[in-house]
Amino acid sequence: MFVPAEKVSMTLGERLSAAVGVRGDRSVEAARNTGAAEGTRDARRSGPPGVRIRDLSVVYRTAAGELPAVSGIDLDLPPGTITGVVGESGSGKSTLALSLLNAVQPPGRIRSGSVEIDGLGDVTRLRGENLRKARGRHIGYVFQAAQNSLNPLKTVGKQLLDLGRSHEIRDLRGLVRDAKDLLGRMGMDGARVLDSHQHELSGGMRQRVGIMFALVLNAHLVVLDEPTTALDMITQATILRIVREVHEERGLTTFIITHDLGVVAEIADRLAIMYGGRVVEQGPTTEVLGAPRHPYTQGLIRAIPRLVGDLGEARALPGRPPTLGTVPSRGCVFRERCDLRMDVCETEEPPAVPYGEWIVACHAVAARDAETREEKE
Amino acid sequence: MTVIARRLAGHLARGFAMILVVTTISFVIIRSIPGDPMRARYEKLVEQGMSPDQAERATAALYGFMPKGTLWEQYADYMRGLLHLDLGQSLSVPGAEVTTLLASAATWTILPVLVGTLLSFAVGIIMGVYAAIKRSSKLGDVLAVSGSLLHGLPQYVLALLLSAVFTTLLPIFPTGGTADVTLEPGLNAAYIGSLIQYATMPVLTYALAGYGGWILAMKSSVVTVLGDDFIMAAELRGLKRGLIFRYVARNAILPLFTILALSLGLLFGGAIFIERIFTYPGLGLLLLNSITDRDYTLMGGAFLLITVAIVIANIVADMLYTAIDPRVRSGQEAS
Ligand SMILES: Nc1ncnc2c1ncn2[C@@H]1O[C@H](COP(=O)(O)OP(=O)(O)OP(=O)(O)O)[C@@H](O)[C@H]1O
Ligand code: SF4
Ligand SMILES: [Mg+2]
Repeated sequence: MFVPAEKVSMTLGERLSAAVGVRGDRSVEAARNTGAAEGTRDARRSGPPGVRIRDLSVVYRTAAGELPAVSGIDLDLPPGTITGVVGESGSGKSTLALSLLNAVQPPGRIRSGSVEIDGLGDVTRLRGENLRKARGRHIGYVFQAAQNSLNPLKTVGKQLLDLGRSHEIRDLRGLVRDAKDLLGRMGMDGARVLDSHQHELSGGMRQRVGIMFALVLNAHLVVLDEPTTALDMITQATILRIVREVHEERGLTTFIITHDLGVVAEIADRLAIMYGGRVVEQGPTTEVLGAPRHPYTQGLIRAIPRLVGDLGEARALPGRPPTLGTVPSRGCVFRERCDLRMDVCETEEPPAVPYGEWIVACHAVAARDAETREEKE
Repeated sequence: MTVIARRLAGHLARGFAMILVVTTISFVIIRSIPGDPMRARYEKLVEQGMSPDQAERATAALYGFMPKGTLWEQYADYMRGLLHLDLGQSLSVPGAEVTTLLASAATWTILPVLVGTLLSFAVGIIMGVYAAIKRSSKLGDVLAVSGSLLHGLPQYVLALLLSAVFTTLLPIFPTGGTADVTLEPGLNAAYIGSLIQYATMPVLTYALAGYGGWILAMKSSVVTVLGDDFIMAAELRGLKRGLIFRYVARNAILPLFTILALSLGLLFGGAIFIERIFTYPGLGLLLLNSITDRDYTLMGGAFLLITVAIVIANIVADMLYTAIDPRVRSGQEAS
């Protein structure tokens, strides 16, 4: 029933086993920690929220009309899990992430679908003050360009106070203390950082300050858009470790975007692979990475150079990812680059078919699955 | 504080050099313009039958002094006088000190320029913010187009237009002078009202002339800042709208402060046309008259004063920037 992927799973083996070993049984631990880590400033919420994205389509207005950057995505973020999203540049990851806050920027807009978040309802319907209060307080967001996420004219501390006042935090001292704690855990001198302007901090420090801002209000849904891009390997590892620790301690639901499979392998429970505005494959991280079914996922994994072994074995995916204008409007979005392409791929978009917890949208995978099932019977 | 002091010292040194250069150049150029009124008078007296000695004494008596020696010696004299803020005697207004003339004229330029510019700055900034926020609507277009039109119009055309409309077609405002001459100068309502009435035309011209530039500059500055990542980050953190507005405004207005100070300096030069058209006795008119009368001491003094104004404006602009922008403050500290 599996697409032959033994080779693939082996190439990733070394990286994966380490990551899996570290993670252990997180869901149990997360559940245990939820109660204890509940913030003193907000005792109302209990437990991490679940998120259900249904048939979400987001379009951008261009010279050629409104073109979809996200097309009919169905994705669940189970409470207390870390979901990783991977895809090449332009696949719609940031657009999807912004939709979780109903913050798609003009000329873009959510054309259809819903994003249900426990405790908030369908955020695509939130407006005005309700929307503003949800952002920051309920949903923490680490910006893709987190390095530039600070007002250059104000110190970090003053901006922290602005944040506290915006969300009616009465205990501002407590807020500052929490911020210092978080910064300290990320290996920085909290007091000094709060006293600094953006230009006095290095790229890695700003990124961590961005993460602090996303966590300091004790939001229980945290969205991180490429939080480790432009960081060196060591800083990247530190930040991922902190994200994971805080996730477990506070009992968060975390959504992390990256184009680095190594990052998701290290921290995500679940993985969604995006291509051309679609989620082409999603499921538990270890299983998907261990035996990927979608030809695109397989290609992505093959493209990773191994640390040990022959460099020649890493094969870059041929061709380029589509842009808004070149995404085919019918058939499979991946067919230009797919070795398994069939006639039906030209005309019909492959439906997302669930195989247990694992969902794949590919005609070839569906056909093979049907074959193996027939053989069994 | 030391950063500011160090910057200030640098500015003063540069400003001093600039003043020296301008004074020297204007000294040389002005002295080489043919048609010196003193020489003209002297020659006339000689023609009328005076001996050269007599003629020279008579001329010197009228003007209070008579330049002697080579150009070099005159230059040295002039610079020595400058050190004591003595710019010499006017040649067209016999017996008057250049500094006194400049001082009284400067008041009539500085106040209207200041009021007009600050007015247009304030209004232009607010309208610029609106034009930026409403940039995809009709109102935004109208504001931007009004800005471009006013900005493209030369100051003197604007002054002529205003003069034609408000002093000729609808004679609401007087033209010429600073106040009704029949009124007793002093702190009485009638006189002050008259001062305001007479100043309205020049002030309005300065204001309208600047407004177009401010609205365009502020609009583009706000649009740039609105597109900055940190503004979106602030929105995604759920900051209150008022706070975000302040983030935008403060960041957008910053580069405009420099232009403000500079334009104040430059307006002293621009005052020439406007004061001419409204016959308003400020520095510009004084400079213009001094050129017509070949009054080179007065000319030199006026040029000097304009240079000093620009130098001061530069310094103020930079100090403002340093005080507001933390990047400049610490950037200098590091170097
Ligand atoms: N403001 C915009 N106007 C027009 N098109 C846009 C805009 N923002 C994004 N797009 C397009 O939408 C598509 C998805 O963009 P998105 O930023 O979501 O991709 P991404 O997966 O996050 O890429 P990256 O890895 O480079 O961050 C891209 O083709 C992009 O060109
Ligand atoms: S649907 Fe067809 S073209 Fe698309 S990935 Fe599957 S086999 Fe390839
Ligand atoms: Mg992105």
